[in-house]
Amino acid sequence: MKKLSRVILITGTSRGIGRGLAEHFLKNGDTVCGCSRGPATLRHRRYAHWELEVSDEASVVAMVREVVRRHGRIDALVNNAGIAAMNHALLTPAATAQRILATNFQGTFLFCREAGKAMVRRKVGRIVNFTTVATPLRLEGEALYAASKAAVESFTQVLARELGGTGVTVNAVGPTPVPTDLIRNVPDTKLKALLARQAIHRLGEVADVANVVDFFLSPRSGFVTGQVLYLGGVNG
Amino acid sequence: MSKPTLTTAESVRRLILATLPERDRAGANPVIFGPGADLDSLGLVNFLSDLEYRLAAEFGRELVLASERTMSRTRSPFRDVDSLAAYVVELLGEEKR
Repeated sequence: MKKLSRVILITGTSRGIGRGLAEHFLKNGDTVCGCSRGPATLRHRRYAHWELEVSDEASVVAMVREVVRRHGRIDALVNNAGIAAMNHALLTPAATAQRILATNFQGTFLFCREAGKAMVRRKVGRIVNFTTVATPLRLEGEALYAASKAAVESFTQVLARELGGTGVTVNAVGPTPVPTDLIRNVPDTKLKALLARQAIHRLGEVADVANVVDFFLSPRSGFVTGQVLYLGGVNG
Repeated sequence: MSKPTLTTAESVRRLILATLPERDRAGANPVIFGPGADLDSLGLVNFLSDLEYRLAAEFGRELVLASERTMSRTRSPFRDVDSLAAYVVELLGEEKR
């Protein structure tokens, strides 16, 4: 029997983990709708790209509704888009704080709200939000980034309860550092110190993240919701 | 802002009624949400979500009905069909921001 192609919406697909996940799902036969601030870096017949700011309500509404109009549904939402800024909290400009919260939290919220509405109507759906090990590790120098992701975790858990029984699950994955642009500017000594705090002292790979996302997206994971799963043996 | 035509108001009202579950359509001005209504909060989410898609198909406008303005009103526009119809017509009458 031919496997049914899922419609998966992923944010932040121009590079890093988001792009890796998009390639992973395309290889799997799924249809991927992605977005980023810039143009598409991925060309595939089952990939469609939207150029937008994830914190812009009108753009998010327009994208999600267009995806639903084109495909009739959204099977899964993967809220990967995120930004980080290494800085001492006392030296963080308000504009930087606002930007981090807007992209990491507001973007996640807006996509959850709009895709969630479409999923609740069909009584089925999977939402996976992205957090980070920086939150449970209370990483110095990442106060704003960690706080924005703490908000994502809390939101994930409450939304999971609000949607409990609708067929829509909401979970979060917390990757360790993965060699992408996001950690390009993290000094080597900092990175080594962070890895030392993990149970398994290595950088993560996109495949590690994809494995967790696959688990949350599985039809058999319908009873798994409101969970935050960190990689590398980090505990919340 | 141009005054909405009767046709717009009527078709909005028709859309709202068509989106409401059949059992909730009784009376001259059916109650949608709140005391005496059948819809719970998740039912309201479903109803508003359906209505947003229908309004987009009918009028080509991507409205978000649960806006800050909606929440701050003394009388909820989601209370009954007449209130919601008036609110939607108001939104449709505004220039696209």
